Amino acid sequence: MTQPENIIVKGLSVSYDRKRVLTNIFLDLPPGQLYGVIGPNGAGKSTLFKAMLGLIDVNAGSTSFQGKKIEDCRKEVVYVPQRDNVDWTFPATVRDIVAMGRYPHKGLLQRMNQEDEAETARAMKLVGISHLQERQIGALSGGQQQRVFLARALAQGADTFFLDEPFVGVDITTEERIIQILKTLRSEGKTILVVHHDLNSVEEYFDQVILLNQRLIAYGPTPEVFTEENISTAYSSQLNILHKTGMIEK
Amino acid sequence: MDTILQVFQQEWALRALIASTMVGLTCGVLGCFIVLRNMALIGDALSHAILPGVVFAFMIVGYSVVGFFTGSVIAGLLAAVIITWIQQRVKTKNDAAIGIVFTAMFSIGVMGISWISRNEGVHLDLKDFLFGNVLGVANQDLILSGLVTVFVLYSIVLLYRPLFVTTFQPIIAQTMGFKVERMHYFLMLLLSFAVVAALQTVGVILVVAMLITPAATALLLAERLPWVLGIAGLIGLLSAVLGLYLAIEFETTPGPAMAVVATLFYLMAVFFSPKKGLLGQTIRKRRLQQRIQAEDFLKQSLKLEQREQLNKSNLQENLGFSRRVFGRIQSLLRRKGLLDNDGYHLTTEGRKEANRLVRAHRLWETYLVDQMGLSAENIHEEAERYEHLLTEDLLDEVEAELGYPTIDPHGSPIPRKAVRPERSLLSLAKNDHGRIALKQIDEHITAQLWQLGVLPDTEFVMRQLDSDFVEIEQEDRHIRISKSLAGKVSVASREQEATT
Repeated sequence: MTQPENIIVKGLSVSYDRKRVLTNIFLDLPPGQLYGVIGPNGAGKSTLFKAMLGLIDVNAGSTSFQGKKIEDCRKEVVYVPQRDNVDWTFPATVRDIVAMGRYPHKGLLQRMNQEDEAETARAMKLVGISHLQERQIGALSGGQQQRVFLARALAQGADTFFLDEPFVGVDITTEERIIQILKTLRSEGKTILVVHHDLNSVEEYFDQVILLNQRLIAYGPTPEVFTEENISTAYSSQLNILHKTGMIEK
Repeated sequence: MDTILQVFQQEWALRALIASTMVGLTCGVLGCFIVLRNMALIGDALSHAILPGVVFAFMIVGYSVVGFFTGSVIAGLLAAVIITWIQQRVKTKNDAAIGIVFTAMFSIGVMGISWISRNEGVHLDLKDFLFGNVLGVANQDLILSGLVTVFVLYSIVLLYRPLFVTTFQPIIAQTMGFKVERMHYFLMLLLSFAVVAALQTVGVILVVAMLITPAATALLLAERLPWVLGIAGLIGLLSAVLGLYLAIEFETTPGPAMAVVATLFYLMAVFFSPKKGLLGQTIRKRRLQQRIQAEDFLKQSLKLEQREQLNKSNLQENLGFSRRVFGRIQSLLRRKGLLDNDGYHLTTEGRKEANRLVRAHRLWETYLVDQMGLSAENIHEEAERYEHLLTEDLLDEVEAELGYPTIDPHGSPIPRKAVRPERSLLSLAKNDHGRIALKQIDEHITAQLWQLGVLPDTEFVMRQLDSDFVEIEQEDRHIRISKSLAGKVSVASREQEATT
């Protein structure tokens, strides 16, 4: 029942320095869904994103977006990486960064036009950072920084979104705002994948879950996949600790 | 002492001036990307690594500006490729890889020079190579520098967007379809060009000063990349020209003079940059500290007053300020009209300010407990710090988010925001008609009115004004409202009534 508009991952395997990080991942993801990528630390969640996006070398396997290779649809696929590894002292304002989302639409000799500026303004308004647009990016809170990156992704106007841990180090208001925006995008038919680690909010946030721990544990609709049994397989050794800290209930 | 104009009327000096201007500008602008990409060491490496290129070019085609240029660029790019290759394929640390490559290439170049001097009987001056010889610039050199300047600046303008993204976040640049590696090597090419052009002016050792120092200075002064590029170019240009002038005037070597001038600009920015300068930082820190002390003073005074223990010695003891600080804050607050002349009682304004602080403190504590899940025991210090930093807008937001709490986690009341309605219920006289405004000063008031059964935007008659309550009649019901609440209830203005 593979549909041509799906995101299809075939036999993806990745290793760093001979250590296997991902083994033989197969996925077939219909569009218009909000996916949570769940798994313990070191499960290879970020690696899966990078491999699917063609940012790292893979040992084997391939990913296709609506039947196309990633290289042929860069404009349509957008990535929001984790906030660390970014030089926040960089001389750029919020608007400069959000406007970056328009760059893929511009040829070398084309200038930014009114449409680009309107898209940039719209994206900033949507995530609620319009009042910060002249601010240097270092003078923002964690939540605001995350909103800037989301706004850039929105300004790009892509069909598929990859967000790596967008809720780490952000305030509750931002988290709610982001999930609300993601749900709106989903209802507009966009496909959204989110690496997420807070097991408590999985059922509330995601339509579908991809459970991962170096290999694919299970994936599919949240009620079917996000079960005690699957979670305990994915988290095996970590489960006891989680019980003790009360992060999940027995 | 000759004026600048007189000095530069001589032809050799004018040529030197033109060369310095171009080099200062090019290196300044290009240097911004080098600094932002943490490639300062690479700039140094490339400049040293081009020596063998010059030497081999001389062996092959003899003394030729174009030959030197070609040889240098090839050597520079070769160094960049080898360095990148080692960094990616061999497990040698990045800076170690750079060090190995450039010292090796530089050494080969130096050996080549000795070999040429011995066997060909030609004397190549290593000193010119090391420190530049801007006063000996020939027309051919000028043309070459001019071409390099135009090419580098034009490339940066044209490739501004890819350069910006690949520098800020290479991984995002990649997902946007930019060729990150290609940009890296193109930048290396531009760098090689700039280094070769700068060789005549400042020499290998000091090229890096022209690349790094103006860029680092500009980064202290501006917060947007286009401005940084412009300011760095200007500082580079000024350093080169002023350095050249000073060198001619005081008969010293131009290259080092330029580097020294650039460093002076840098030091000035370090101390006096409005936002990032040390001076501004110290002043801001001092001001913040003083504000915090003043605010603590107000709060303590209010607290003691409420406990009826307010006197000077209690206040001083509770605050723990030295006598000098105490006196300074006292006079500061009195000047602002927040403190009575006795030096410890609050004025009405002062009380308002103190209440605002208590509100900030308790709201923040409530926020930390309710929303962040911290325990009530260890939030006081945090709130003590943040009460000084929270803006009024943020507090309103926090209050709304918390659902307008009345007590904090320790059970103390949270003071209301001191806002007065434009026209309150108390402004009406007996038997006046009026309407309760739709929008009250805060949702708290709306809620209280709702509880009392007072309907907004519905006509009422003022029936009684007592010393501690007012009574209104609305839709045949008599409702009593406490005076403190009545003072905060907004009544629709007459114009609004007229329109309804």
